[in-house]
Amino acid sequence: MDLPIQMLVTAVAVPVFGAFLIPIAARVSVPVRNAFAVLLGLFTFFAAASLLKLVIGGQTATWTLAFPRGFDLILHADMLSVFMASVSAFVSAIILIYSLDYISHYENQTEYYAMVVLFLGSMMGLVFSANLLWMYVFWEMTGFASWRLVGFFRSDKDVAKANKTILVTVFGALCMLVGIIMVYFDHGTLDLRSLHGSAISMVAAGFILVGILSKSATLPFSTWLPDAGVAPSTVTSLLHAAVLVKIGVYAYARIFGVTFAAPEAFSSAVLYIAGASALVSAGAALIDTDIKRIIAYSTVSQIAFIFLGLASGNKTAFAGALLYILMHSIAKGGLFLCAGIIEQNTHTKDINKMGGLFSSMPVTGAAFALCSLSVMGIPPFGGFFSKFLVFSGAAQNGSLPVLLMFLVGAVMTLLYLVRLFYKIFLGEPAGHSSPKEGSVTMVASVMALALIGLALGALIYYPSAYAELLTNNLGVNLQ
Amino acid sequence: MDKGLLAYLLIPLFTAVLIPFIARNRPRLADIFANVTLLAGLVNLLWLALRPSVIAGGFADIPGDALSLLLVAAVYLVGLCVTFFSAYFMEEGLPNRQAYYSLILTSIAAMTGVVTTGDFFTLYVFIEVLAVTSFALITTDDSAGGIEGAIKYFFLTFPASALIMVGIAIFMISLGSLSFDSLRVYMSSDMPDGPVVFASALIMLGFLIKSGVVPFHAWTPDAYQGSYAPVSAHLAGIVTKISGVYAVVKLATLLRFFDGRAQALSELVMFLGLLSIAVGAIAALRQTSFKRMLAFSSISQVGYIVLAAGLGTPLAIMGAVFHLINHATFKTTLFLNSASLEKAAGTTDMDKLGGMEHAMPWTSWTSVIALLSTAGVPPLSGFWSKLLIILALWESGLKTYAVLALLFSIVTLAYFMIMQRKVFFGRKSPAAERSSEVSAPLLAPAVLMCGVIVALGLLFPYFYQYVKVVAERIIL
Repeated sequence: MDLPIQMLVTAVAVPVFGAFLIPIAARVSVPVRNAFAVLLGLFTFFAAASLLKLVIGGQTATWTLAFPRGFDLILHADMLSVFMASVSAFVSAIILIYSLDYISHYENQTEYYAMVVLFLGSMMGLVFSANLLWMYVFWEMTGFASWRLVGFFRSDKDVAKANKTILVTVFGALCMLVGIIMVYFDHGTLDLRSLHGSAISMVAAGFILVGILSKSATLPFSTWLPDAGVAPSTVTSLLHAAVLVKIGVYAYARIFGVTFAAPEAFSSAVLYIAGASALVSAGAALIDTDIKRIIAYSTVSQIAFIFLGLASGNKTAFAGALLYILMHSIAKGGLFLCAGIIEQNTHTKDINKMGGLFSSMPVTGAAFALCSLSVMGIPPFGGFFSKFLVFSGAAQNGSLPVLLMFLVGAVMTLLYLVRLFYKIFLGEPAGHSSPKEGSVTMVASVMALALIGLALGALIYYPSAYAELLTNNLGVNLQ
Repeated sequence: MDKGLLAYLLIPLFTAVLIPFIARNRPRLADIFANVTLLAGLVNLLWLALRPSVIAGGFADIPGDALSLLLVAAVYLVGLCVTFFSAYFMEEGLPNRQAYYSLILTSIAAMTGVVTTGDFFTLYVFIEVLAVTSFALITTDDSAGGIEGAIKYFFLTFPASALIMVGIAIFMISLGSLSFDSLRVYMSSDMPDGPVVFASALIMLGFLIKSGVVPFHAWTPDAYQGSYAPVSAHLAGIVTKISGVYAVVKLATLLRFFDGRAQALSELVMFLGLLSIAVGAIAALRQTSFKRMLAFSSISQVGYIVLAAGLGTPLAIMGAVFHLINHATFKTTLFLNSASLEKAAGTTDMDKLGGMEHAMPWTSWTSVIALLSTAGVPPLSGFWSKLLIILALWESGLKTYAVLALLFSIVTLAYFMIMQRKVFFGRKSPAAERSSEVSAPLLAPAVLMCGVIVALGLLFPYFYQYVKVVAERIIL
């Protein structure tokens, strides 16, 4: 096996199988377990990132394990999968490091680390799979891991929310499986490489879309995501920024962006659904008072912008959407980790009980502000460029009502994030005793994410060149 | 009768006769004899089926129709798990220890007979032997629930036997022979088929009752709930599958040779299969007893097998056989775990349990694996068998059936979620505070079965090859 293929296989196999060794590592000692989990996360990131050089050079790597009936497990590294894998693995690794302190005083830590790593591994499997059936297999594995993670605390309410998460996403996944079976009988194969450029029927596309929307928490399946906020902040950060909701977006890009030529009516339906989702969730973010729910609604709203870029059928918008995935992962991961520090030190999630925290938590506040600015799309942050590209691409051939919906959504993003920042960090202190700053690793993690968001804006040339190359090489049916 | 496998019938029967004499003064010897017999048989079977040369040859060297061998192996595997579990589960002073092991071994011999026989009369005889042994086994611990379950079992399965008897009589009158081969020859010829279809319908009805398919499911929850704990694993895991479902699959494959003339019967079987999937899953949502929920789940899963059997295409038969095996593995795990729960916490009432994950981590996680496999979550074995069944339905143009069968997986998952919230995860209950994990030997069977579930899922290509050989041999 060549080195790239080895890297490809280990990027999937090491976290998936390594996750099951974490309980054994826990038998040795707690530090060994923690170190092992972080190492698995870092290793996965480096393995995925090491493939970047290969795919930029225009090559791909493929590894196949034969299964009967065309169900081969095909791991395929191309520009899109390596990009997605690197982003997810990077954010997951940061989250694992942050977890060391954050999670250290709760029960069920071994299960937590095992599930985070399993989650990361299934995500790697999902993005590298070039077979729709195996995408489904890994899709369900992420569902299982998210179920255990959302149910990290064991009160009746938490467990009920976890069950809601898995039931909604598995329902979507089963619908997607119906769509996959339709593709299987229409085309006789599930290999995405040989399906490249073929047409997909409206019904099959619709079934697959239900799966995607349920996983990426877009209307009408959005309610589970804010509810999943009962989990520890690291978990929600992981779900929002690194893995779970990004799976839906990735699957859309993979299936309808670079494989099938989706029907025209289908894409415009997706645009309207995404537009409605952006508006409704931004409205919800404006009125909610729970810090984590607000950020969760913000995710629902931002994911809709990514769908706008992916479904516009325009090269600029598509490249913008890919950048958006990157920027949103970094910024949203940072926001949730900040929320984790705030929540842990103030012992509340209600923003009305916070206020004036900037003086006692300056670093967290600064990181929060930087991440918020990136999500809002203020130049020179990375988020500005991605949002700009998505809008300018969509404007070229999008319909006016859709654009207006998203413009209003973007303005509302600004409003709710300013409100959130003001309520937490500025204003009068409301009944708290000036809580402490978080621990060094925690603060360092959030600051790293915030600065990376800023740096990506300054160095926007490299990611955008990558996204453009990707769009030109792989895009299907784009103008 | 497949003579190559006759030893697997005779040896347990011989041990069953031997045990009361040998173990009269030393009851522990009964445990040892039963376990050693089954272990030896299983090792032998694995050697027959999983020798490297056999695997390399694509399982072409398997003797007989390959299905018998697979099912005998499943019978031995479940039987071994149950006897091993019982050896540590039974209280020392239980008076009928020797009788218990004799009955288990007799029922294993009878099941081996059922799956190796080549004609309906022998099939009938062994199924009756099986019914009588199960009937006695249910009452092992002399509790009121056990007696009630046994009586219900009696009243519902013996009329079924009568129906089968009448059907066999009509076969005898119109065909003059009862072997599967002559039936197959007759069915593919153009001779008048009225009486034969009628007889097949009667036999089919009898076996559907015995497999506990809706609307004949009333006896299963009571029998499983009331019976002695390891016995319920034996019954749910393998006995009802062999005495009912296996025969349904066998008969359904024969019906295919009618070439469309028994279409109505096949369609009815499929409809009852789908109905079972739906009714079993929805009823399971409402149960508060762990064992009853598992019993309804069993009804629902049997529905998948019956649905596929009714369809009868090669792919569907492969799915049915695969699901039959999977069902044996995950139901045995779950029922054995319910027995462990009963031993550790003193109850299987889900309202009184909760938060058992810390008290009993092994029991909890093996149950989770088994349940995920039941719900068809990949990459566990249950996913592949369900996928094969759904692909077969779709291939035959039955898209509505396929989509419904698929979407009922979500109901399966829903009752599993309710169960895990009430029993394993969720808030700690007083029962969880005072109970602790059962001993390692009681966990070993569940862990072994979970290993099989994971292995069958990950090694799907090999198992697929095997069931493909099965489908080719019994259909072509």
